[in-house]
Amino acid sequence: MSTLHVLSHSPFTDSRLDSCLRLCGREDAILLCGDGAYGLHSPALHTKGVKVFVLAEDMQARNLPLPDWADSVDYPGFVQLSIDYDKVNTWL
Amino acid sequence: MSKSLLVISRQAPWSGPSAREALDIVLAGGAFDLPIGLLFLDDGVFQLAPHQDAKAVQQKDLGANLQALGLFGIDDVFACSHSLAERGLTPPASAQPLGNEDICRLIDRYDQVITL
Amino acid sequence: MNTLTVGARALELDKDGYLVDLDDWSDEVAHALAAAEALELTADHWEILRLLRQFYAEFQLSPATRPLIKYTALKLGPDKGNSLHLNKLFNGTPAKLAAKLAGLPRPTNCL
Repeated sequence: MSTLHVLSHSPFTDSRLDSCLRLCGREDAILLCGDGAYGLHSPALHTKGVKVFVLAEDMQARNLPLPDWADSVDYPGFVQLSIDYDKVNTWL
Repeated sequence: MSKSLLVISRQAPWSGPSAREALDIVLAGGAFDLPIGLLFLDDGVFQLAPHQDAKAVQQKDLGANLQALGLFGIDDVFACSHSLAERGLTPPASAQPLGNEDICRLIDRYDQVITL
Repeated sequence: MNTLTVGARALELDKDGYLVDLDDWSDEVAHALAAAEALELTADHWEILRLLRQFYAEFQLSPATRPLIKYTALKLGPDKGNSLHLNKLFNGTPAKLAAKLAGLPRPTNCL
């Protein structure tokens, strides 16, 4: 079973992304939104090899460049992802 | 067959309402006989530390509440070994310690996951 | 404000008729609470009420029906710890009514 992990906290002030990377499986993906989008600056995310998505408007608002190891999605894309994966785990 | 639910509790006991809310979800699910699991992760493992004094901060005794999980039919209670070790805590009797790989498989096994 | 008069004292109740202060509880208060529910307390009732007080002292919460049955079976045996016995004693809603008569808060996980 695959899980879409949704993270909305900056990994530089918070342990959610670290824990998520420690526990997520090969089939899983991570969606960054809100301050979670700052995760695009985190080398740990990239080296883990897990699929990474970022919410386009949050990336744009923060003027973050999209690295080649991540994909950006709009809200309809977010909805589609939550359907494509077996379950969604929102790290509240 | 009702869907199974894993609740991941990752906040310290007195840092806000999260720990209490996670427990309330689990107890309500248990009262309805749902297949439910509880995992303590990150600072959530501090909820398992012994001899805490909730009264000192005018809170309800979460530790005592946790002892009732078995009576509510919640037998699948786990704690992240990594989080315990990181905080110098010894594995408690009330939760089964799990490594990263096992937690990954645990999350896989449940239909739904709530992380608080 | 909801109150219950016992002797010369007026005790505060919440909107559902549960004691606001756990320490207000006594045998006399239990009788008055039961009378308000048109219930006569027997030895069988008292046994469960004292057990509930014990449950609360141990776990700091009021049990829903299933844990109440389980705990009663554990402490008093399966003859008492079953839904038939408890429903009969407490008009079909043992978790809510017994908690009320035992002076405990309303069980929050019992919807």
